[in-house]
Amino acid sequence: MNLKISALDYIQEVKTGNISAEDFVAATIERIQSVDDKLHAFLSVNDKAIDQAREIDKKIKSGQKVGDCFGMPISIKDNMCIKDSKTTCASKMLEDFVAPYDATVITELKQQDAIFIGKANMDEFAMGLTTEFSAYGPSKNPWNLDYVPGGSSGGSAVSVSAFECIASLGSDTGGSVRNPASFCSTVGYKPTYGLISRYGLISYANSIEQIGPFTRTVKDTAFMLNLIAGLDPNDNTTVDNKNEDYLSGIDVGIEGKKIGIIKEMMGEGIAPEVLSATKDAIAKLEGLGAICEEISLDMVKYSVAAYYTITATEAGSNLARYDNLRYGYDFPLEGYEFNSYISKARRKFGPEVTRRMIIGGFVPSAGHAGKYFLKALKVKSKLTKEINEAFQKFDFLIAPTVPILPFKIGEKIDDPISLFLVDINTVTANLTGKPAISIPYSISNGLPIGIQLIADSMNDKSLLQAAYALEQTVQLPEVPI
Amino acid sequence: MVSEEEIEHVSKLMRIEVDDHKEYVEKVHMMIDYFDILDSAGVDSEEISMPEIALSNLREDEHIPFDDKLIEKLNHYKGTYVRAPKMSS
Amino acid sequence: MTMIGLEIHCQLTNLKSKLFCSCKANYREFEINENICPICMGLPGSLPRLNQEAVKKATIIAMALNCSTPEKIAFFRKNYFYPDSPKNFQTTQLNIYGDTSVGGSGSIMVGDKKIRITRIQLEEDPGRLIYEGSSSKNQITLVDYNRAGTPLVEIVTEPDFETPKEVRDFLNILSDILTNLGVADPSLEGAMRADANVSIEGGKKVEIKNIGSFHDLEKATHFEITRQESLHSRDIEIIQETRHWDDKRKITVSSRSKEEELDYRYFLEGDIPWIKMDPEIHKKLQTQMPESISSKKERYISKYNIPAQVADVLSPDKYYSDLFEESHNDSNAKEVANIITTDLMGLVDTREKREASKFTATHLKELADSIQSGKISRNSSKNALHEILKTGKDLETVIAELDLGNVSDESELSGIITQVIQEESQAVEQAKSNPQTINYLVGKVMQKTKGKADPVLTLELLKNRLESNG
Repeated sequence: MNLKISALDYIQEVKTGNISAEDFVAATIERIQSVDDKLHAFLSVNDKAIDQAREIDKKIKSGQKVGDCFGMPISIKDNMCIKDSKTTCASKMLEDFVAPYDATVITELKQQDAIFIGKANMDEFAMGLTTEFSAYGPSKNPWNLDYVPGGSSGGSAVSVSAFECIASLGSDTGGSVRNPASFCSTVGYKPTYGLISRYGLISYANSIEQIGPFTRTVKDTAFMLNLIAGLDPNDNTTVDNKNEDYLSGIDVGIEGKKIGIIKEMMGEGIAPEVLSATKDAIAKLEGLGAICEEISLDMVKYSVAAYYTITATEAGSNLARYDNLRYGYDFPLEGYEFNSYISKARRKFGPEVTRRMIIGGFVPSAGHAGKYFLKALKVKSKLTKEINEAFQKFDFLIAPTVPILPFKIGEKIDDPISLFLVDINTVTANLTGKPAISIPYSISNGLPIGIQLIADSMNDKSLLQAAYALEQTVQLPEVPI
Repeated sequence: MVSEEEIEHVSKLMRIEVDDHKEYVEKVHMMIDYFDILDSAGVDSEEISMPEIALSNLREDEHIPFDDKLIEKLNHYKGTYVRAPKMSS
Repeated sequence: MTMIGLEIHCQLTNLKSKLFCSCKANYREFEINENICPICMGLPGSLPRLNQEAVKKATIIAMALNCSTPEKIAFFRKNYFYPDSPKNFQTTQLNIYGDTSVGGSGSIMVGDKKIRITRIQLEEDPGRLIYEGSSSKNQITLVDYNRAGTPLVEIVTEPDFETPKEVRDFLNILSDILTNLGVADPSLEGAMRADANVSIEGGKKVEIKNIGSFHDLEKATHFEITRQESLHSRDIEIIQETRHWDDKRKITVSSRSKEEELDYRYFLEGDIPWIKMDPEIHKKLQTQMPESISSKKERYISKYNIPAQVADVLSPDKYYSDLFEESHNDSNAKEVANIITTDLMGLVDTREKREASKFTATHLKELADSIQSGKISRNSSKNALHEILKTGKDLETVIAELDLGNVSDESELSGIITQVIQEESQAVEQAKSNPQTINYLVGKVMQKTKGKADPVLTLELLKNRLESNG
């Protein structure tokens, strides 16, 4: 069974009867069993997947209406609620938490007959860039097992890259979909803020995060967006995309489009291989008729500091509910007083989460809010103004997704600032709410490099068109696992 | 500048018991020091903006009970209570 | 100079659902933890869904209290840990980025005095804690989240009150206004709570919390003023602090300050966008507001000639003013108001009695009409009213069954008058010199007719008889 196909190809194969959903899913499970010991992309695997696929085959045979996914195996980052399934956020605090309801994206995919093949590994509570902060052990980069796959949605990226599933849903707060997509050579998408419902996504920084798909092709991402984007009454921050079709006209090309090269994302600290790959991509785009020019976004210099200040504050509040009283893990409360119980119970947070909680208590506190938190909000406002101005002139913005190549596991774990700066090219899209995509572009010494395109709010459709155009110029080697 | 006392104070505020404050002081210190860069952004006069929603797009006022017996899926005690540790007076 | 300010919390129990989810707003009829859902339990991944009607109701309250109403309102998080708060933060309103709470500064008259309102905000009630076990050793805390998420309106006043009585009067007026607006039922247990802050001689402010009822509020503020004055007279400093009302000992006690300071780390609630309240919306809400109490009172007096004291009693009572509206017409309005205030209000006073009352607007209308037309005397009408309250039967039936109809037949009355004159010869004699004695004789006729004699006709006939008897 060839697992190395796109979602759209899979659907064709199943529709025409060349393959059955059951056989494909069974082969997927076998693949997971053979490689995941090394990769650790999954925290849990759905043991009913093959049965579910069989049911879908029955539906297809009997001529009943079948959902658009036709039993496609999809992995879900373990911070999205699937009813009656364990949802741990890769944390010991939620070791025993079983979600009593489905996230909206899960409901939508269920209705379309997708199969959730397993829950994907991540940095604990989505705080991290390498998946090394998972309480259940890191995931490995399928291109080189000694290297990080990126994060926080590392497991998602690995599962798609290593053909353990056809697509995945991750979440992107500061680059957590685009960054691992770049490190693992898959397509990774962060939509306009509000395009995809966050109901059922366990919050880390709710004012800027979005759910985003991982796929092997840009068309597949457009397909996924068609299934899950749009207004949701369960999430007041969602926007009306008027049932936009992201797949139609995806190949219109980028003739005459103006693309801004973000100066601050191409400068100091960029790895030479990444710089040359980006220059190459720019040349290709110009070859397709786009006009590329440099642009400066001054606030990018402050974006990482603003990002971590804001997200720590929101995380400190979003994670306050984990006091182990209503759900969590087994820790009897006899003999404890309230404050001492919950302080002890919350020791189960990992060191990175603990650090962020402390920062999140500090930066918005009465004595310090003016200097840190409020300033960060103002940087966010100014950066948004700057990027809005840029979009007066340009249709898209371009930069490498990550300024450096994937690095070894353990290399940056003790250097928080250096780790922060891995995000420098991605947080801007989150802070400003703009859609952004990472397209796998090249492999350098066996390690993947992704190129990032950003568009103005609600221009997700045209962003996918530009991404498709760039993708078509690329021919990548196969993942060596 | 973040002292060990401040870290201890904030950990209490955030209800996180930290074994070795020293371990955290160094890293938290580095991170907060890094945030000092915000002072040079020159943004004091910026307004804070937020997304908006029309009143008419808000939820209608209707009683729709949650269909499952939710308390049975959460920690419960003596029937359907949730138990909390004793409160200090 | 004593200064008292109030922070009143009022549940919007007339709403159908909670502030951020579709669980029931009035949680009182449920089993423990039966009125909950992922949102009000703050489960991972849940998001708030703001109740449109709650915003409208809160805005109406703001308008009724003459408060400014901003064009955009926002919600904030107040972060603190407590077992009754499932998210360990409360979603509430603040005015730190300009005026963003549902009502800004306003005022309301209490008699001749103007009490200023600082602001009005919409927020969620936490769950309830229940303590079991007698000693601190075996005490356990149990939590019922049925109430968590119930919509609350917080009304904050300036410290404009000078006496506990003013506070009490204000709260009564506020209760009436809220009931009249149809937004809340302050008579429900726990539906309206208040905290107070007290300072004397421009000194430090002391907050008093944990006050169970308005009655206690008056007591608590009185106690606190006395306590502060006592300290002041001995030149002892009054510390700025929070005290709680100890209901058993009837005193305020210093709250052991919790080691953690109260740093709420307020910031905007990212899951709720700012809500646009255009002038159009305000105009529409204004037209939807029910008639104010003062306007009703005015109307009763000027349009129906209802006496001021009667109008004063009738206008703030929503149940009865509604009944009045349904039962009256231009001619019987005064009588209807009279029956309500004189007879009904005293008999059907509690909420249970009002809910169980079989006395309808139709009953009231017919009763008033019958009195006015002389069909039934005012005395008999009281008997009829009691009977209707008991049985719910219509007026005609009751009059027939109890034989309450006025005796207005002249010959019948003449016969009874003859009897009375014969029996009361002494009074008849006295009536010659003292005309007032005739009322005694009228009374005797009334006795004999069990109160059904037409009093006007009786008096006339008696007068004629006595004169003619010379």
